Amino acid sequence: MKRSFYLKLASDNMRKNGKTYTPYLVTCILTVAIYYIVKSLSLNPGLGNMVGSTYLNETMFLGSCVIGIFAFIFLFYTNSFLMKRRKKEFGVFNILGMEKKHISRVLAWESVYTALISLVLGLGLGIALDKAMYLVINKVLGGESPFGFFLSFEAIRGTFALFAVIFLLICLRAVRQIHITDPIALLRAGNVGEKEPRTKWFLALAGVLVLAGGYYIALTVKNPIASLVLFFVAVILVIVGTYLLFTAGSIALLKSLRKNKRYYYRTKHFVSVSGMIYRMKQNAVGLANICILSTMVLVMVSSTTSLMVGMEGAIGQRYPADVMVYFSPGGPEGNPEGVEAVRTLRRELGAQGERETVYRYLAFPTLRDDDEFVVSKAYALDVLDDINNLFLITLEDYNASMGEQRTLEDGEIFLYSNRGDFDSPTLRLMDREYRVKGRLDSFVGNGIVAANIASTYFIVVPDVDALQEIYEEQKAILEQYAGEIRQVYGFDMEAEREEQNAFCNALRERLSQSQISASVEGKAEARTSFLGVYGGFFFIGIFLGTLFVIATVLIIYYKQISEGYDDKNRFEVMQKVGMSRDEVKASIHSQVLTVFFLPLMVAGIHVAAAFPMISRLLELFNMLDTRLYVACTAICFLVFAGMYVMIYGLTAKTYYRIVSR
Amino acid sequence: MALLEAQSLKKIYTTRFGGNQVQALANVSFDLEEGEYVAIMGESGSGKTTLLNILAALDKPTSGQVLLGGKSLSGIKEKELAAFRRNNLGFVFQDFNLLDNFSVKDNIFLPLVLGGKEYREMEERLQPIARKLGIQELLEKYPYEISGGQKQRVAVARALITNPQLVLADEPTGALDSRATDSLLRIFNEINEDGQTVLMVTHSTKAASHAGRVLFIKDGEVFHQIYKGNSTNEQFYQKISDTLTLLATGNMKGA
Repeated sequence: MKRSFYLKLASDNMRKNGKTYTPYLVTCILTVAIYYIVKSLSLNPGLGNMVGSTYLNETMFLGSCVIGIFAFIFLFYTNSFLMKRRKKEFGVFNILGMEKKHISRVLAWESVYTALISLVLGLGLGIALDKAMYLVINKVLGGESPFGFFLSFEAIRGTFALFAVIFLLICLRAVRQIHITDPIALLRAGNVGEKEPRTKWFLALAGVLVLAGGYYIALTVKNPIASLVLFFVAVILVIVGTYLLFTAGSIALLKSLRKNKRYYYRTKHFVSVSGMIYRMKQNAVGLANICILSTMVLVMVSSTTSLMVGMEGAIGQRYPADVMVYFSPGGPEGNPEGVEAVRTLRRELGAQGERETVYRYLAFPTLRDDDEFVVSKAYALDVLDDINNLFLITLEDYNASMGEQRTLEDGEIFLYSNRGDFDSPTLRLMDREYRVKGRLDSFVGNGIVAANIASTYFIVVPDVDALQEIYEEQKAILEQYAGEIRQVYGFDMEAEREEQNAFCNALRERLSQSQISASVEGKAEARTSFLGVYGGFFFIGIFLGTLFVIATVLIIYYKQISEGYDDKNRFEVMQKVGMSRDEVKASIHSQVLTVFFLPLMVAGIHVAAAFPMISRLLELFNMLDTRLYVACTAICFLVFAGMYVMIYGLTAKTYYRIVSR
Repeated sequence: MALLEAQSLKKIYTTRFGGNQVQALANVSFDLEEGEYVAIMGESGSGKTTLLNILAALDKPTSGQVLLGGKSLSGIKEKELAAFRRNNLGFVFQDFNLLDNFSVKDNIFLPLVLGGKEYREMEERLQPIARKLGIQELLEKYPYEISGGQKQRVAVARALITNPQLVLADEPTGALDSRATDSLLRIFNEINEDGQTVLMVTHSTKAASHAGRVLFIKDGEVFHQIYKGNSTNEQFYQKISDTLTLLATGNMKGA
């Protein structure tokens, strides 16, 4: 037969099966677009510049891997639905005299068309959305955007390669299916009842264990840095566990319910339990997909939103005053000339402001062992969890900066800690024991310390001599890793952003002219860059979240249609053997409801379990307000659940139309 | 008093846009006594299935009424219909209508479970029926694991387990081979001898020849009926096929 015949037949087939083919093509196109966008983001140098590190690119790279895996599962899954609907058609072809190799050839051409359409439109859409994202981020962040228009040929190549492989594999599977079934089976495929699934206890148990492992990591992780690695381990464990539980676990549970005769042979349970066994077999993978997608949407959107909303708080932590000057290391007497130079400039330029913070501090790393802080040079990265910074200032500076009148005897200290707790009445440090006279509720702000992710203990010592003593001792032990005594000078300004920025620049110039080495940090300057970083995260979170929602909608739509066709027959039989129309409707409704809201419920549990880990990760970004994160998560969940219900309601209509036709 | 009375049933189907009207039943009246075994015959499109659906309360007649045990089906509320069907009627279909997600046993139990019966009672009812139909070995299997003849016996068991007043069979032998047909027809005769009233719709002369009376439907009307009386199955078969020939050639009137 001529090649053009196959080409024509393939395109005719696709057109005639439009009702099922169109959603599949849309799915393919969107998947390609999603993948391209994330891939291109992971390669976009603008993203790196925006954060000042490659973290974001790495996150995006991992994201693109995850999405690649999803694309694979997702497309295989939707295609299997398509193939199931079309088996009868192939059976007719076969009976009308087409050999299986001819059908395979038609299938291959259909795959080529599908691949071409999806890749061309998908890449086009992806590139366009990339551009649209550029415009929106420009809007959100007000002007200067860290993204340029970016067209990555590497991303296009990568997308092309991945999807070519996926479409090839899908095509091979379809051809294989055609080859191993005889025409009669193909003809009947639509209405042949599927076999009851076997109980796979081992997989069910494995699912429980894997999921528990993932949860355990998420719930117990302490250190944010270590959790970055563990985070992905936990994510993968939870994904695997979810798949196993939805596929094997659900069947095992339902079958054990069925074994319980008193439970099973009740009007309500009888129909629903057996129906659910049947449904879970066909839908487990789809439901697991929905569940994982939902979890991702929720985690991503809630964490990025809370970062964005909590940005002011994070800036406040990192920049305790409008202008902070950190002088280079000096002696115990601090850097009075430097402080004076700044004060002079303030007077000259008329930079008004009430609060003024002037203090010297000493910060160095220790290993905490109960009430003792051990100073040792042999810190290894694997004990990072136990690293605690000590931050010491004198009573005089503390009182001056905070406007208080506290007193301390020799050997006494005040204590404040930002993350850890310390309950002991005494504190030991390098063979010395201090009595903790009191705990403080607030402390002088210090951005350098706030930027450090380890827990910090803030200690007020009685006088400069005590500070000097500790300085010398830790210097002897830590050598090049030792901390230095530094002078800090900070103050607030009552001025607009431009004026503050101008002052910071003038200050930098003045200090370098006077040969005073110091770093000047302006809150106003920082706000711009924070907005860039957090806004970027926020945007990406919302963006990926939206795309995942699209994927979720598509899966739900497909599920409703396939459920509808499958249930139509059962629906009729049930009525004939004595169930009323309303009863059947109620029973099917409750099953469908269970099937659709199970993923949402599990997603909720996943999000709750991920909570401690995500809030640790957020600490990396100075986002310490857990209550805010709780609120963001709750709101995101509610909004998502509302959307889910709406999607369900809309697609349920399609479902009932099919069933009651 | 007759168990079932069909009184001048008329059914007109209207197409969706109200254009063509198709008259499926013109005027059908007949009685069915308790313990009778009646076959309704007619060609495709003669209105057999419509009649059965109306008798089963799955469909409503345009005019006329059906009385079961003196009670009008049209007087039963929509909500009670399902329970009424479950308790008073047993169904056997051409394509079995067994559900693949239930085991054979659960398929048979389905009407009882829907009726809220205890598991022990279900088991007690099942045993004699399963023995009689020879399906004890199949109970734990699934519908897709057994043959057509076996499926139809399971369907009969499901129809009988509620002790219905009337068993309605719609082309029960339509999908069976001749051996399975023989065995199924024997089963129908046996349950009829036990006092079960059976109404079968068929166009198989062989199936009809096992019944005690045959009604012929043509163009939506009961055209003729013949009784088996004392004739054998073979003699009755001959009578039915003669009638069918006359029916087809149109010489029936005046005969």
